[in-house]
Amino acid sequence: MLKYIFIFLMMSGSLFAQSSLNFCTNELETFPTQSGGREKPLYVLATETIKYITGESKVGEFSSTEAFCKLSLKAFGMPLDLPIKVKVDHVDVRKALGLNSNETHIPINNLVEKKAIIPQELAKIKENNSFKKELNKVQGRLQTYEAIISARAWSIPITQDGKIQFVPLSEFITEARISSAQGKGSNPIQYLFQEAKENYLKAKGDKYLLELKYYKWNFFTWALLLSIIGIMLFIVTKNKIPGAIVTGLSIALQLTAMSMRVMISGRAPITNMYETVMFSGFGALIISIVIFFMRKEIVFVVAGLAFNVLSLMMMKFANGMLDEGISPLVPVLRDNFWLSTHVTTVILSYAALALSWVLSNSLLIRARFKNVSSGDYRYEVDLIYTSIKFGVVLLAAGVILGGVWADYSWGRFWGWDPKETWSLIVLLIYMAILHGKYTTWIPAHRFVPLVAGAFMSVMMAWFGVNYILASGLHSYGFSEGGAVFLGSFFAVQIFVLILCGKRSTAAA
Amino acid sequence: MNTIIQYYRKVELFFGNLKFAVVIILLFAASLAYGTFMESYHGTEYANRLIYKSLWFMGIQFGMFLSILFATLIRLPFKKHLAGFYVIHAGLITLFLGSYVTYQSGVDGSLTLNPNLPAREIQLNEDEFKIQFPSKGKEVTVSLPYGAFEKNLGYEYEGIKVNKFLPFAENEQGWVPVKVEDSSQSSTKYLLYNDNFSENITLSLHPQSDFNNTQQLGPLNVHYMPSSLLNCFGENTKDGLIIWNGETSGCMSPGPNDIKKLKNVSGREVIEVSYEGRKIRFLPNMSPLPLDDKMELNESSPFRVFSKKMFETSPHLFLFGKSAAFYNKETLKWESFASMEKGIALPWMGFKVNVIEHRTDAYPTMIPVYTKPIQDNGQIIKGNLKAVEVEVNDQRFWVNSTQPVAFNQNGERITFELSKKQLLLPYELVLDQFKMDTDPGTNNPASYESFVTLFKGNEGSTKHRVFMNNPLKYKDFTFYQASYFQTNEGPYGSVLSVNFDPGRFWKYLGSFLLVFGSIWHFVLRKKPILKPGEARA
Repeated sequence: MLKYIFIFLMMSGSLFAQSSLNFCTNELETFPTQSGGREKPLYVLATETIKYITGESKVGEFSSTEAFCKLSLKAFGMPLDLPIKVKVDHVDVRKALGLNSNETHIPINNLVEKKAIIPQELAKIKENNSFKKELNKVQGRLQTYEAIISARAWSIPITQDGKIQFVPLSEFITEARISSAQGKGSNPIQYLFQEAKENYLKAKGDKYLLELKYYKWNFFTWALLLSIIGIMLFIVTKNKIPGAIVTGLSIALQLTAMSMRVMISGRAPITNMYETVMFSGFGALIISIVIFFMRKEIVFVVAGLAFNVLSLMMMKFANGMLDEGISPLVPVLRDNFWLSTHVTTVILSYAALALSWVLSNSLLIRARFKNVSSGDYRYEVDLIYTSIKFGVVLLAAGVILGGVWADYSWGRFWGWDPKETWSLIVLLIYMAILHGKYTTWIPAHRFVPLVAGAFMSVMMAWFGVNYILASGLHSYGFSEGGAVFLGSFFAVQIFVLILCGKRSTAAA
Repeated sequence: MNTIIQYYRKVELFFGNLKFAVVIILLFAASLAYGTFMESYHGTEYANRLIYKSLWFMGIQFGMFLSILFATLIRLPFKKHLAGFYVIHAGLITLFLGSYVTYQSGVDGSLTLNPNLPAREIQLNEDEFKIQFPSKGKEVTVSLPYGAFEKNLGYEYEGIKVNKFLPFAENEQGWVPVKVEDSSQSSTKYLLYNDNFSENITLSLHPQSDFNNTQQLGPLNVHYMPSSLLNCFGENTKDGLIIWNGETSGCMSPGPNDIKKLKNVSGREVIEVSYEGRKIRFLPNMSPLPLDDKMELNESSPFRVFSKKMFETSPHLFLFGKSAAFYNKETLKWESFASMEKGIALPWMGFKVNVIEHRTDAYPTMIPVYTKPIQDNGQIIKGNLKAVEVEVNDQRFWVNSTQPVAFNQNGERITFELSKKQLLLPYELVLDQFKMDTDPGTNNPASYESFVTLFKGNEGSTKHRVFMNNPLKYKDFTFYQASYFQTNEGPYGSVLSVNFDPGRFWKYLGSFLLVFGSIWHFVLRKKPILKPGEARA
């Protein structure tokens, strides 16, 4: 049917085929569409989808929007052949699809030819392992590609009596619509899209375009650069004003970006891993400034900036693990009051504990490779202790608020859910260290490595519950982003403890 | 008196010691970490039974309580600089006491609401075993232990022994010996496999077996028959007819010379075959039953007649214990194999079949075996059966959680049921409507909501909406939207979580004291950080 429309267009003298290259331009980035339960600009949908399929945000010379549009037009018989390469992460899946183990992508035409292999391989696997998960992912990518080229992935707003209904592109382009649009513009298709967009804007305005600005302006990347410069300025120059200004600018950019995200999603920015990393990095910086004003010690701000940089780098580069997309919430989280109080408090507590982690590792490493006087060592232990105190108070409050929310929503104050249990484990571990500090068991030289190591419990509560426990132990595969990250973190931290632990004893 | 005081001081010093606190906190944290891994691998119920609701874990929590209590008592009389510390510890003690009150007297269960049907039964987490004597109108209930492992119960009532309870089990095939061996009631376990698939199948002709004599595996139909029928299936006759005597398990596959064609009174074709000295008449392609002397279908006859042609259009595998037969579409012939010792290749998708075990001295049945549960993607995929072993009149059998079992003891009917404990509400709830909204353009639930009517007896009825973060509170109970399900008839039903928590106030008070005390102790009690070279005052 769709191909007949193309033939109809050709026969009716339309220049659609010839003008398709002109039609699929970046001007479509602002076109309103609906996907995943939300309305958004086409740019966001196209980038998310192309990135999901290929792992890249461009296809050859074409931007994601151009590529998405051209692929969608394939449904109408447009003879377009884009160099789409589908991402394949798992080595065994690469082999099953006939790739070499170092080939990370498979050309789409090859994948379409070999698509029967995927269900055959899936039928052989009984347990839910990482190979099976990746096969499902590749199948998902192929299905998404097929949805695009059959014009089902792109939905177009139709406005009737001020009400908007989204229909797939395949249903939008009909003979009747095209006939009615004949002679009303340079070509009928362009006219129909123009009309759809204008009607949408009349009915709902251009609020959805905020998301386009959010992604285009890249405030978090600029904030990353500023935070790095801030650290350098604090370390290199004696005058703290330039560092403070740059830090202030970084905070302003992050605050603006987070506010935009709140305005787009209509909720606190703490509902998925990406957002918790974002909020913890920001929170660490703010807490470090609060402690700086209380304790008059600039080291806190440097530690806050350091964790801020780590978080922003994860947001920028760990796309396999952290999904930047904004999705609707599951029903139970749809309570802004509890979401904003409980999750915020817990993430801020992790941020404060992250300060203690940065400070303790920094002290461990410096004590290993440089001479740190016992006075300096004790002073820095006091700084670490201060960070922990903030972390522990916030965490206790966060855990309790979680209990109150659970009681309010589910009728039980405590249900031994893994996430809540691990947040309690973190609290207990830090409490054990704080109690032990008053015994002969944990003098200063043991306190520092213990605090550095204790942050592994935070990472377990924060990432491990989602990336390791949630998937079940037997499906635990190190090829998956989150588990790789967590495993690497633990390995590096343990290596630092082994390398620097002994020297720390001597320094104290 | 002095001795008692001295003894108390020792206890106080032991439990109030900071080192004891560190040990018990770490022990508690390690148990919790172990619990989360068990929960991930084996599911919530297993973790609850093994750890969170076990006696040893209660012991650790009691140790925490003693540590907190004596750490406070040992620091009395009151010292101003420890004010925050006292508040924290008082908060923790209150929190523990509140949790204990909830544990002892609280109710935590679920209420399943089918559309437009009144409900008042709250299902609790604990299991119970009911023995019912309908003729006497009597019921005996045995509370089952909340442990993670197999438990011997040793309970006896009027000659009925309740031997053991398996909280997690999986039905596994077992063999029950027969008193008299009969080759026509044999059972066989086979392995059916190709490059992508392999499955064990057990088939039985024994009337008491839990296994059938047919099984469907995708498009393949597997039939299990007495071995005496093999020859009849292997022969390639023109009509493909088989006459089978159900009493003797004998059969014949008549050739063209054995068949005589007649007509009945209404002119329909009747076929007559001589077999075992008798003339068997039947209506071809009409019924497997033979005709009697009056040319009417004879249901009491042991003979059956059928045509193999009906098994030639789709894949049918006939197994006869250690032998097999099937129709090969490529050769257009029936092929039979008297022995399957080395396995046989089937003409469908590269399948092969092997005999694993063939028995005439026992029949296969399903027996619950304790199995540690396995969780995959949030679902329990193994070990989600519970079972109780019962012994009546020296006969042992299993009652599992899927359905009740009826038994005849000296002519008296007894029923056994393994189920969750229930609590009856003094009022009823009716689900008027369940509403689920989805995110635009998707099938993902955005919200779910139960519209219920609460019938309060003499106090009339009221209508309520229960949805996430908006529970219904009535008298001591609170009802929360927990889950939903689709009924066979179509409309959705709803599951509400039901809760009564007499320790709630104390837990809230304890929580408040804990947070307030922490802020006081750690943040407000400002101790200056001394820079290197500065002396502490």
